Amino acid sequence: MPNWVYSDPQIFACEQERIFEGPNWLYVCLDAEIPNPGDFTRSRLGTREVVAVRGADGAVNVLLNRCAHRSMQFCSANRGTAKEFICPYHQWTYDLEGRLFGVPFRRGLRGQGGMPEDFRPEDHGLRRLAVASRHGVVFASFAQPNETLEDYFGPRILGWFDRTFDGRELRVLGYQRQRLPGNWKLYIENNRDPYHASLMHAFLVTFGLFRLDQKSATEVDETGRHAALVNQRGEQKGNEATAQMRAFHEGLRLADPRLIDPVREYPGDATVVIQTLWPNLVVQQQSNGLAMRQVVPLDANTFDLVWTHFGYADDPPEMTQRRLRQANLFGPAGYVSVDDGEAMLLSQAGIVADENAECIVEMGGRDTGSVPHTVTETAIRGLYRHYRAVMGL
Amino acid sequence: MIAALPGVEASAALRARLADLYGAYDEALGERLYERWPEFFTETCVYKITSRENYELALPIGLVYAESRAMLVDRVAAIRRTMVYAPRIMRSLTTGIVLRAIDPDGMRLSASFAVFQTLINEPTAAFASGRYYDRVVDDGGVLRFAERVCVTDATLVPTSLIFPL
Repeated sequence: MPNWVYSDPQIFACEQERIFEGPNWLYVCLDAEIPNPGDFTRSRLGTREVVAVRGADGAVNVLLNRCAHRSMQFCSANRGTAKEFICPYHQWTYDLEGRLFGVPFRRGLRGQGGMPEDFRPEDHGLRRLAVASRHGVVFASFAQPNETLEDYFGPRILGWFDRTFDGRELRVLGYQRQRLPGNWKLYIENNRDPYHASLMHAFLVTFGLFRLDQKSATEVDETGRHAALVNQRGEQKGNEATAQMRAFHEGLRLADPRLIDPVREYPGDATVVIQTLWPNLVVQQQSNGLAMRQVVPLDANTFDLVWTHFGYADDPPEMTQRRLRQANLFGPAGYVSVDDGEAMLLSQAGIVADENAECIVEMGGRDTGSVPHTVTETAIRGLYRHYRAVMGL
Repeated sequence: MIAALPGVEASAALRARLADLYGAYDEALGERLYERWPEFFTETCVYKITSRENYELALPIGLVYAESRAMLVDRVAAIRRTMVYAPRIMRSLTTGIVLRAIDPDGMRLSASFAVFQTLINEPTAAFASGRYYDRVVDDGGVLRFAERVCVTDATLVPTSLIFPL
């Protein structure tokens, strides 16, 4: 792995074009954030900003936040409810489908000025993206993908997706955002790297929330672009594996054990499933902690990480409390996630200082298949197999 | 200096006790005596750091969310023993402490805070600003926070938030 893929501005520009504006389904928002017609929220797909709005027909429209007139970002509220969108600059007005229907002084005033005779408002709507949604999660694409969302995920990953998004209505518990000084791909890799999770994250290791000596799997789809890390909760007991984990603290006890008091809510043995969906979404299910983690690249060396924590609309109050407590593990102040933020910062610092050096990604071999364990970097290799094909590298 | 909103009766003695509480809290964080930090809270309490965005939407998530003094003890243990982060100095300025109401379940206060972060070999940078929304009770003769909600103006955190506000 050459370091320059993480730092070269030309690579970054090419990623925007081929990945973020290419035929990929990019995460936008949850249905639960815009439940009623007219409800809208802003989101970022790569470096471009969109407005997701529920139309009168109940379907979600995803519109580029750029007025057709002078390219102004017409929407500056993070969310709200609208009957129409009016650009504040010259009050060009669009309906919730993005159609232009109001142009002040289009016919001029007293026979003077105005738009040319052949100006057709229907040719100057907002740019509308292709939209697909499944079980309450909304995706969009700048280029119409030639595969459905279901085919895009493939059966294996779709199974994990449907495990969390089983059709129940979702409830948003809140947002967290952090700006991290690293290349956006480092974060996707981080979530496909079970090797580090068993070494760096004292909290996961000590309390058996994710550890490579426990029953686990690293699943990679056929293209390499999506992956799932699966693990089954174990005990806080030393063994031959924990002996190699400096982060394992057999004697560490929680003063209030309610922090880690999970209840099983899905069928099967897995207690944690971290999905990375190409190109920039992480779906987190760690015990009862559920979150969408949207990676928003800003430039080659910086990205924003947007966390949307959620539960289900039918959660009893005790379950909501449990999710809020477990959320202490995640986000910008999370017992686990703080470590990852630091890893981004220090990785990028090392990379930028030596752009022509290389990284080694050979744990677990050199191929990119699924394996029934987590002593592997196979999911990172899979990511870059697909990345190279898309980028022509 | 503790101001009181019009109509809120607060004796000089009470104001002095409140000033001591806020002063001691600042002293503990300012000198990084985090082991003292849980002692400023009642055994059952709410301590939360959240953004203005979540607060105004009444979304319950916290960057830090604790329901007991014991959970604060666990947070300190994680800061000291398990979390991986670069060394830094945090400097928090608390100002404009106002007693807003004296309710049966405690005194309601608010204050503004500004926090600066200094990483090694880096200049000092603004880290966060916001408001405290507090409920203070007399806990066996000692004033303690039964509730402290730290609402940051920005939703965006620069890299990570390690230490309590």
